[in-house]
Amino acid sequence: MTLTPENLVSHLPVKKCTLGCPILDGLLGGGGIPCNSITEIFGESGCGKTQLCLQLLLSAQLPHSLGGLSASSLYLHSELPFPLRRLHHLSTTILNHNNNNPLDNILVRPLHSADDLLSLLLRLDSLLLLSPSPLPIKLIVIDSIAVLFRSEFDNSPAELRRRSNLFFRIAGMLKMQARRFGLAVVVTNQVVDLVESEGFRVGNLGGMWSSGRRVGAALGMAWASCVNSRLFLSRSDEVVGREGDGELRVRTRRRIHVVFAPHLPEGSCEYQILREGVFGVRL
Amino acid sequence: MEVSGLPLSASQRAKLASAGYTTLSSLSSISSQHLARDLNVSNEEALQILNVVMRTGRFSDLAGASIVAGAQSAWDMLLEEEHNKHITTSCGDLDKILGGGISCKEVTEIGGIPGIGKTQLGIQLAINVQIPFDYGGLGGKAIYIDTEGSFMAERVFQVAEGCIEDMLKLNVSQLKDLETLKEKMHPNTFLANIFYFRACSYTEQIAVINHLEKFVSEHKDVRIVVIDSVTFHFRQDFEDMALRTRLLSGMASKLMKLAKQFSLAVVILNQVTMKFIDGSFQLTLALGDSWSHACTNRVILYWNGNERHAYIDKSPSLRSQSAPYAVTSKGIRDVVSNCKRIRMM
Repeated sequence: MTLTPENLVSHLPVKKCTLGCPILDGLLGGGGIPCNSITEIFGESGCGKTQLCLQLLLSAQLPHSLGGLSASSLYLHSELPFPLRRLHHLSTTILNHNNNNPLDNILVRPLHSADDLLSLLLRLDSLLLLSPSPLPIKLIVIDSIAVLFRSEFDNSPAELRRRSNLFFRIAGMLKMQARRFGLAVVVTNQVVDLVESEGFRVGNLGGMWSSGRRVGAALGMAWASCVNSRLFLSRSDEVVGREGDGELRVRTRRRIHVVFAPHLPEGSCEYQILREGVFGVRL
Repeated sequence: MEVSGLPLSASQRAKLASAGYTTLSSLSSISSQHLARDLNVSNEEALQILNVVMRTGRFSDLAGASIVAGAQSAWDMLLEEEHNKHITTSCGDLDKILGGGISCKEVTEIGGIPGIGKTQLGIQLAINVQIPFDYGGLGGKAIYIDTEGSFMAERVFQVAEGCIEDMLKLNVSQLKDLETLKEKMHPNTFLANIFYFRACSYTEQIAVINHLEKFVSEHKDVRIVVIDSVTFHFRQDFEDMALRTRLLSGMASKLMKLAKQFSLAVVILNQVTMKFIDGSFQLTLALGDSWSHACTNRVILYWNGNERHAYIDKSPSLRSQSAPYAVTSKGIRDVVSNCKRIRMM
């Protein structure tokens, strides 16, 4: 580092990676997921976190003129199995103009534990400098961070302290590399159930509800202090009528909310998961 | 300090004493004409007396004049405090409980949970410190030390736009100036007047803070230093907690000295942590008990229902009270109450 201050005007416009949908990009202030920063996406299982990540892995390859980073990405997954077929299908719809094989530009690595992630981050330099993929790596996705921490630690104060130390080390390293290489970092997280009196309000939403449960992001206040932006994916099932045979017809409504982000106001928008990907709905 | 200690002629000292000028501070803000009339001397002689007062005044220590070198009388301190400048937060209620805004010459710590608006307040202050004299501001520059990567230029641009918009509104009556003002005040000018440092580790953070004294002495128009946040790099594995305490208190005393020496505001943002107290987890500002003594003022930001509030947790001069504030697209502002909102519609 140098001790010369930076000119902020040169930071404009802030580099971002499109989500591949103008409505979702619009919710994020236009442009998508910001570089040099950690964005967390949390929600219950089946809400579309992984879908959104896969879409991002592909849209990162788009040229700058189309809102992408013209870059490869690194996908670190702790939930098995890796959804290869879905990724392959999405690649044909999102990058249909591309002649190269888009899967060449996605590096996939399973994560087994928090320590495994830490040792990988310590060796990240060489991977970023000598990327085996055709394009340089500009996007790192960790899907999900919660799995690495939810089983290994118990609830004693000493263990919680050890856990939060690890959060800050991991986040510190991710932010340092994000800054050095201009990376966008996306991390997914799970939900925990909260009872009415429990938990402190974090961010714009007084209470967060998904599938009729009151929820919060997993990993507590320490991890919340590690991410720059937090997005929440919620779902609710709505009865829309009855089938001929008396079965209830249920429609799932999904919303993506800005819980907090240094550059964004409070906001949310509805989205759908279609065969072609995740798309915002303009009402 | 007494007038009798000044290097003046005996008759001049006697004239001063008989006219009631016994202390230096009584001569600190008086015109030469006024003094000439009071002492019944020529204007030139009065000017010469005032020059002596200026030279020997608070900037130097006459041998034996003060027992402790650099000491200040409480009276001088009071005068100084009255002239102490404040940086507005753009929220009237918040300024009110802060005694006019964030105080220059002091270290103010601001803490709260993620998403409450710490960075927003930091950005707002880095912009507001630049409000020109004519608009009641300090016309200064800012140093922003970013340890978390949450300082985003596009947001700073928006806040600068909001600040300019409000200043132009104040100025509508003087339409002549409006065009020149608009030219002069471009958000990019505000961005360029923020010296931005990004620290990616605690060693980098300490290096920047150690460098500040030299940097500020070369950039005397800096009126605020914001550290966003002091905490992040110090919550990683510190095996030697005594080292951590030592580094933090060293940093705090450097910042305190900087604030006094250059009459600038230091704003330190802090995170919260869960502390196990009396069998349950409670929220408290991070970095522990010894750190809690490091800053002069401590402000806690928290949710009160659906409103953001700020609370003066610690201050030698301010009452403990709280006030609501809002984070809007233009930056920090007053909370618009529901009834007002309805009236506006």
